[in-house]
Amino acid sequence: MTTRHKPSLARALAAFAVAAAAGAAVHAAVIPPGTVLAARQEMVRNNGSEPESLDPAYIESVPAGEIDRDLFEGLTSTDHHSNVVPGVAESWKQVDPTTWVFKLRKNATWSNGTPVTAEDFVWSWRRFLDPKTAAKIATTYAVYLANGMEVVNGKKPVTALGVRAIDAQTLEVKTAGPVPFLPAVVSVAQYGPQPRAIVEKFGKDWTKPGNIVSNGAYVLKDWQVNSKVVVEKNPAYWDAANVQLTRVTFLCVEDGNADLKLYQSGEEDYLYQLPPGSYSSLKAQYPREIHNGPLLGLRFYALNNQDPLLKDVRVRKALSMVIDRNILSEKVTADGQAPLYGLAVKGLAAIQQTRYDWADWPMDKRVAEARRLLAEAGVKPGTKLRFTYNNSDYHKKMAIFAASEWKTKLGLDTEMDSLEFKVLIRKRHDGDYQIARHGWVVTFNDATLFLALLQCGSEVNDQRSCNRKADELIEQGNAATDPARREALLTQAAKLAMDDYPVIPLLQYSVPRLIKPWVGGYDEANGMDRYRSKDFYILKH
Amino acid sequence: MWAYVVRRLLVTIPTVLAVVTLCYVLLHLTPGGPFDAERKVSDAVLANLQAKYHLDLPLWKQYLYYLRDLLHGDLGASFRYADWSVNDLVARALPVSLAIGGTSMAVAAILGVALGITAALRQNSAVDIGVMLVANIGSVLPSFVLGPVLVLVFAIMLPLLPSGGWDDFAPRYMILPIALLTLINVSTIGRIMRGSLIEVLSSNFIRTARAKGLPMRVVVLRHALRPALLPVVSIIGPLAISSITSAIVTESWFSIPGLGKLIVNGASDRDYTLVLGLVVLVTVMAVLLNLLVDLAYAWLDPKIRY
Amino acid sequence: MSASLPIADTAHAGRSPWRDARVRFMRHRAAVASVFILALVALACVVGPMLLPNAYDSVDWNLMSAPPTRAGWHLFGTDELGRDLLVRTLIGGRISLAVGLLATLVSVTIGVVWGAVAGFAGGRVDSVMMRIVDMAYAVPYLLIAILVVTVFGRDILLVVAAIAAFSWLDMARVVRGQTLSIKSREFVEAARAIGVPTWRIIFQHVVPNLMGVVVIYTSIVVPGVILSESVLSFLGLGVQEPMTSWGVLIHDGAAVMGAAPWMILFPAAALSITLYCANFIGDGLRDALDPKDR
Repeated sequence: MTTRHKPSLARALAAFAVAAAAGAAVHAAVIPPGTVLAARQEMVRNNGSEPESLDPAYIESVPAGEIDRDLFEGLTSTDHHSNVVPGVAESWKQVDPTTWVFKLRKNATWSNGTPVTAEDFVWSWRRFLDPKTAAKIATTYAVYLANGMEVVNGKKPVTALGVRAIDAQTLEVKTAGPVPFLPAVVSVAQYGPQPRAIVEKFGKDWTKPGNIVSNGAYVLKDWQVNSKVVVEKNPAYWDAANVQLTRVTFLCVEDGNADLKLYQSGEEDYLYQLPPGSYSSLKAQYPREIHNGPLLGLRFYALNNQDPLLKDVRVRKALSMVIDRNILSEKVTADGQAPLYGLAVKGLAAIQQTRYDWADWPMDKRVAEARRLLAEAGVKPGTKLRFTYNNSDYHKKMAIFAASEWKTKLGLDTEMDSLEFKVLIRKRHDGDYQIARHGWVVTFNDATLFLALLQCGSEVNDQRSCNRKADELIEQGNAATDPARREALLTQAAKLAMDDYPVIPLLQYSVPRLIKPWVGGYDEANGMDRYRSKDFYILKH
Repeated sequence: MWAYVVRRLLVTIPTVLAVVTLCYVLLHLTPGGPFDAERKVSDAVLANLQAKYHLDLPLWKQYLYYLRDLLHGDLGASFRYADWSVNDLVARALPVSLAIGGTSMAVAAILGVALGITAALRQNSAVDIGVMLVANIGSVLPSFVLGPVLVLVFAIMLPLLPSGGWDDFAPRYMILPIALLTLINVSTIGRIMRGSLIEVLSSNFIRTARAKGLPMRVVVLRHALRPALLPVVSIIGPLAISSITSAIVTESWFSIPGLGKLIVNGASDRDYTLVLGLVVLVTVMAVLLNLLVDLAYAWLDPKIRY
Repeated sequence: MSASLPIADTAHAGRSPWRDARVRFMRHRAAVASVFILALVALACVVGPMLLPNAYDSVDWNLMSAPPTRAGWHLFGTDELGRDLLVRTLIGGRISLAVGLLATLVSVTIGVVWGAVAGFAGGRVDSVMMRIVDMAYAVPYLLIAILVVTVFGRDILLVVAAIAAFSWLDMARVVRGQTLSIKSREFVEAARAIGVPTWRIIFQHVVPNLMGVVVIYTSIVVPGVILSESVLSFLGLGVQEPMTSWGVLIHDGAAVMGAAPWMILFPAAALSITLYCANFIGDGLRDALDPKDR
């Protein structure tokens, strides 16, 4: 793994620096000098699943987001190093804690020639958060804008939303409370612009090839459900000169083995995810093509803090202590995921990683202490635990490991319950579980997304845990204008909350992947795992 | 005869209605709904979402809306594939599944019948055992084993064919999936053919024919085959239906945009309209195919009357 | 034949039809061999795990995905959690064989009765019964399975029920087709003419003549049932960890076929052998029970 900048100060400074450097820099495929490009710049990449929609207001999944970020460029964008870079906006400024002003570039146009204006963003964001549009994910993103929640809950009209076009090239955004990471927020595909005239003309069919109009680096050429999505270079794009790939085909293969076979037979250039358990053998087989970088995601087990057995923090601590995360990482999953003993993952912005003090104790000592805690809490060997997970070989393996740790080291029996994903989510939300498998991956890089997991009453806090002091620290952190102070406060908050053992952190996600050697532009350090097609290029081969 | 056909076709309507109603009820009984997501949805959005899909109405009212649309040929909007109507999705996936499933059925039928006849005529000999061993490969190994083996041999070791994917009915993408389905179906057809032909060959009228001195080939082809085909034809209906609509393993392994994938994704995403639309399609197909099969019975066995 | 009236003469050993059947069965060499092999497999599955030192659920993190070796009795190797495959294959066999047998029994019974009654009754009754079958075909199997398990909880008997619920359909169709053909034959007309009650005709005359097709088809149902069970278990609706079945083992093994071929080889071999044997026995039984071969 390549080293990365410490996420905190340097990143914050970098973000401001970029904002200030009024669009002078070019943000696309950075091709090392002397590289020879192939004549045919086309790529076939597997995108993991069929997109649920291509309408920015309705997309929720990562694969749909990947395609939409090629079609629609927002105010800002994320490049292949997971840095926030200018998009339609060439610069921005935070004029006061809750107000930002974005300056749009003059040469941004839609693929049918009409210019992209600030009014487009106003209309699009209002449409996205309008409850009548019924966009499921609107609630998640509404929190950041002023009156966002009120609008999405139907309490205020969309015109009350904190976004306003000062003139055709200037957009003013008001946030609900200080959001120091707003540029990152508006880089998500859902905050992209939508072509009003087209949407109003075609209604539900506006995203079909032939109807759709986009402002991004690519236009939609063909869409065959459950087969492929094909995009082609948009000649009207403001940065078209720096876009190498002329044609990209997104496949939607979900099965890792099928994906691998397509890669091996040359039908695709970019494998989405390796079949579980195959990393070490594929690494040996394709040393030049294998890639594995950390993802800004956390694998953990949610503990129902209200459950009669798990109410006692000593029990929760004991369960967490005895799991040998080294074996989990090296032997069980064996695909380069790093063990975690805290909430924050490596590369997460505005927070430092924390580690339980017992993380470095020898296992015997941990087991002894855990047993002592259990005895104190009055939990006898033979007590039954109930573990819920969604059916997948990968999770099954990890679960069996955890169960065997709890059995051999603490004498607890685990009953395993494998469910469909939808049913698992429901049960977790409803608190109908004792221990459940959970995973959390960020949609933009900021610590608050992780802290939301532990905040009192947060809608993503399935553990029903609550630490008021930690919540206070989070609020203070978000109000802080000094990035260093913010980071310190958020780190403290995380440590405090995690000392309650609301969850059992296990591993940091990694992205094991196979990519043909002639594809350039991939960066293993890209913790967000978001790639715009304009960042890729094909080497001569 | 024609009266019978018309009667059967008319019965399709209540059949479809009954199945749709049953599935409708089942879908709403199943836990988890189409709007369950990892992140919570605001009440206002949820209300609008439900209004959009008529889900805020009492169940019976929704049902009536659905039926009304159904009668106009409108299968509704899909939840999972939000930009597409169910009509669109089915119209695109059906020809794909028909091409793969239908072709494999035809091939399997011919091969299966041929193998079954060969084995039956040399009952209990080495040929019989050998032929049955080969024919049965498809039934003793699950498709999720055969599929990878086929791909390993023909796409990776010998790079003759692509390991999957689809390109507008281009033949090279169709060969392996058809081969897989054929292997699986040939075994069933072959075994039934063999057993049935053996039975028929020992019946009285065959003995008479042979006693008359007719050569074996003539005996078989002209006299024994028709009645022996009866059980085979019985099974072709269900096999065809499942090859076309439930070839999910084949479709996922070879990344083919067919009906199987839609059904499975629809069920696990609780995409009510998609599932119901597919159910309507499958019911109509099943009814039509079974009608054809029943008509074939009458042709094969002249004593069968409707 | 003796000149006197043919009274049951116990001094002579008569030729019972069962003996005839057994003789005919023995003529089918593959079937005979299959009986022995199958018996061996069943025995191994039942008794084997009790004799072997490894438990089917003991994980050994130091011996993950190990190829077959004499050490530690890991004759089939280990899976990716370090569990012994030999024991797991045998234990899995218990589940697969039991489920296979039970589900087949249930579905065959329902299918034969349904098909025979429909075929024999004809007319409106036939129409309704077969339309119900048509309807059942259209219902998505997955949906029912999910519903049944979520409402009633997970239970191996439920797996059996869920599988049987869909496997009887084909049998019903096949049986009905055969019945239509049989019912128009002379001996049935004769029986009707002399006033034999319908149910008697069905069960004493029609069904025995169906046996051939039923037996063949049963041995087609068996692999289907065993495979269905693996799909259900994979979806979390059947056998739960750490218990396993051949279907689950094969499914897990298929995913790592390239890297650890033994994981699929042994359970697939066990399954194939069992199913081949079942098929041959089926063919043999069909030959044996053929009423015309007298």
